[in-house]
Amino acid sequence: MIRFNFPALKIGCVCMAAVLLLSFQFALAGPLKLTVVLSEEGGAYLEYSNALGALLANKNVTLTVIGAEKALPASELVIAAGMKASLSVARAKPAAMLAVLVPKEGVNKLQKEFSAQEKSAANAFSAIYLDQPYKRQLDLITAVLPHARSIGVLYSTAPAELNKLSALAGSRKLEFHERSSVSSSNLYSNLQSLLLSSDVLLALPDAEIYNASTIRNILLATYRNKVPLVGFSSAYVKAGALCAVFSTPEQIARQSLNIIQEYTEAGILPAAQFAKDFEVSINEQVAHSLGLNIKSASQLRSEIGVVP
Amino acid sequence: MNASQNGFRQYAVGLVLPVCFLSCFHSSYAGEMAITEQSYLEDFPVVLSASRLSQPLSEAPNAMTVIDRNMIKSSGFRTISDLFMLVPGMYVGNVNGHTPVVGYHGSTEEFSRRMQVLIDGRSVYLPPFSTVDWEDIPLNIDDIERIEVVRGPAAASYGANSLQGVINIITRDAASVNGTSMSLAKGSEGVADATAHFGKAGETLDYRFTLAHREDSGYGTPVLNDAKFTNQANLRANFHPVGADSFDFQLGVSDSRRGMGIFPKPDNVFRNENIASSFQQLAWLHVQQNGDEVRLNYFHINRNLVDENYYSLNAGGYVVAKTQADRHDLELQQTLQLGKSNRMVWGAGARSDYADSKETLVLPYTVNQGRLFAHDEWRLSSAALVNIGAMVEDDGMGHTNASPRLAFNYHVTPQHTLRASTSVAYRTPSIYEEKANVTVAYVSLGGLRPEKTISREIGYLGEFASAGVTLDARAYNDQVSDIIFVDPAATPSGWPFNFANMYSANYYGYESTVKYRWSDSGNVTVNVARQFARCAITGTATNPFFIPLYLQTDIDECPVSVPDYSGSILLTQQLGQGLQVSAGYYHMGGIKMIAGIPQSVMNRVDLRAAQSFGKSGQPGSGEVSLVVQNAFRDDYTKYSITSETNNIQFNQRAYIGALVNF
Repeated sequence: MIRFNFPALKIGCVCMAAVLLLSFQFALAGPLKLTVVLSEEGGAYLEYSNALGALLANKNVTLTVIGAEKALPASELVIAAGMKASLSVARAKPAAMLAVLVPKEGVNKLQKEFSAQEKSAANAFSAIYLDQPYKRQLDLITAVLPHARSIGVLYSTAPAELNKLSALAGSRKLEFHERSSVSSSNLYSNLQSLLLSSDVLLALPDAEIYNASTIRNILLATYRNKVPLVGFSSAYVKAGALCAVFSTPEQIARQSLNIIQEYTEAGILPAAQFAKDFEVSINEQVAHSLGLNIKSASQLRSEIGVVP
Repeated sequence: MNASQNGFRQYAVGLVLPVCFLSCFHSSYAGEMAITEQSYLEDFPVVLSASRLSQPLSEAPNAMTVIDRNMIKSSGFRTISDLFMLVPGMYVGNVNGHTPVVGYHGSTEEFSRRMQVLIDGRSVYLPPFSTVDWEDIPLNIDDIERIEVVRGPAAASYGANSLQGVINIITRDAASVNGTSMSLAKGSEGVADATAHFGKAGETLDYRFTLAHREDSGYGTPVLNDAKFTNQANLRANFHPVGADSFDFQLGVSDSRRGMGIFPKPDNVFRNENIASSFQQLAWLHVQQNGDEVRLNYFHINRNLVDENYYSLNAGGYVVAKTQADRHDLELQQTLQLGKSNRMVWGAGARSDYADSKETLVLPYTVNQGRLFAHDEWRLSSAALVNIGAMVEDDGMGHTNASPRLAFNYHVTPQHTLRASTSVAYRTPSIYEEKANVTVAYVSLGGLRPEKTISREIGYLGEFASAGVTLDARAYNDQVSDIIFVDPAATPSGWPFNFANMYSANYYGYESTVKYRWSDSGNVTVNVARQFARCAITGTATNPFFIPLYLQTDIDECPVSVPDYSGSILLTQQLGQGLQVSAGYYHMGGIKMIAGIPQSVMNRVDLRAAQSFGKSGQPGSGEVSLVVQNAFRDDYTKYSITSETNNIQFNQRAYIGALVNF
């Protein structure tokens, strides 16, 4: 869950200061010099760095947290949170970098930027994707809507791995329906015709289709057609999507800690990867209203995968 | 405002501005757009909040029938009132070609005044007669999203006058019409309809607009002058700037000319009535981030009727008679999520009704009403749900009524639900019943008590998902007391009539609905109702001869004021290649309303065939259809209280329709 409020920010700052002081004490014992670069100093980025700071409290690590526009201090490992920070870090030639809170599509671009550096070592780049694997999303759909026979997706430009999604749907005997909507003028008529042939609509992270201006009418149309929307963040569920699977900044921080430890021990970073831990969120009011008898979020979570 | 809210607002503004910026300039720079994680981290307002989510049948505190767009289409019905033949236990009849009668569980009469009728929360039950003018509501049947018919009193949720049931019409959302469509229908009995729909869903503003013309020649009998011509316009717009607030604006006008008169009644000659109806409605909805919401709703409805050649007893001859009715209503409602298992709706409203009719009231009257209501949905466990609520109203006629309701729903398994509920509701006397002033005919003495219902029911809802079957059954007992009836006041002639709280009735029986869906292409809905009625005189007539000589006979015949059996079957099948066929069967046993004329048994079969073309909803697509009503010519008599019209029959009718999307 993402919280944005003043008290959290204050506590976060106090924690960060404590962590920084604490890590400074260990500086002489040869701690890992770790810099975390945030795209923005708030929201999910701050939540991530707070969580990581707390996890590193007793570790032999010197942690520095800076904004994306600041000059990068001498570091052995740099964690960049968000695309903006990741791009500037990739161009700043650090010894090793881990990109977090970045979409998989962006990671390919980052990797290219980073490997363009002469000094870059083969195992010096890693990332934890913000996207969930399609399999996990389909697992959720099958668990929540076992009677669904068709799934629809709407996009402005087809995502790179759309054929993977359609093949996965096919292997579960789910008919796959896709519509491309290039202009906002035909968005709702495309959506309407897609909803007529689909039992569930899977939202894709396509800002042309799903944004703060369109989400209202998209959700109202799905509800009117009794076709639930499956989102990819808790914000979707709060707004009225039936369910979503997503990883929290805290879960990504925990996975980052494992990568940091691996790097400290072996000096190499693992390949870019999906978040291992995740959460399932359900909108119970929407489920009730659609007459769906669905399991609790925690039951669904344990059905979809083992907590790492 | 506390600190955390404040913090959130600042963040939300920070987030929304870049999002607006992105979406506004997105299209032109799409190719160069950087890949961002914005979509994953973006926050949204709550869209599907409590008032936009309907309660599933298995959790509703009352028995409920839902008529959706597919059923409306399959039925082939042209008028809104006919749709209620799809509700178990509901009576639909016609005084003439333009005056339908809709009733539930006996005590049915011409004015359908014992049910609440709401359209998007707007009560259309009009003074001074407390009636619903079904044909003149500025609403086209195509603009209905769904109708929820609450079978039983539900004042706690739907307000005053939900005495025997509630018809809750929900119209299409402003965003649900995209593009233009036109439809035409032509058929027997002079049917000639034309409708045009326009609409667009935008980023912050959605609208739909409908223009419609409807006409027919009524029953087509020389006894009745009941042709009608109606022009309607209806607009719904929704303004929803990004964030927590949205504003729904609706307005409609209807202008109609209808024939009046019964041959050969000298005081009811053939003539025309002109009716102008209009409404304006503005609703503001504010949804908080935790899902709690506040809704402020204002509406005004107006109806002006001009009878060109009315025989006025007050004037002692033929006059141009005018009747004006107005209703203003303001309501504030708050929905609160009180913990995970408890949700409460509470609110307050005020209403002002105005009626002016020289020929029936002499003086204009204004009645101001106020109400307070609260309803709580409490989930005791995953299996048990309690709905408890009440409304307290000051009816503006000297009464304060409290209408409580308690319902308990128990999911034996998630697929099988038992329900028990009890409720009380009142019907405020109409302005006419209280203040009628028609020389030598109707002169009210006033002082009427509101009619009261005490209702009890048990119900079962079953879902047999693997077989595609759902079953909804219930047994009920409604005790209606203080029913208002005419009271011939003078001796010995009887005239003029007063109105008095004259009798009580006990309506009981059972109803069930079975739905079977064998595939995406075919389904059937079967409704059956078994009804019983017992009445007793509980009031005192001013004229001592009235009860033994007249009313007692009617009261003795009360058991036949409801049909023994009634029901409907609606079957729909897609035959492939865009061909859809449907058939409706409607049955009602013979009845005789209290003080009415016996009606014959109805066994009516309606058939519809439709061929669609093009890609559904896209420009160039459309449909042609043929509807045959009463296909097997099993003619039946209409509702009647006058001997001249007692044998007019509903015969076979057919019309063809065409619809094109642009």
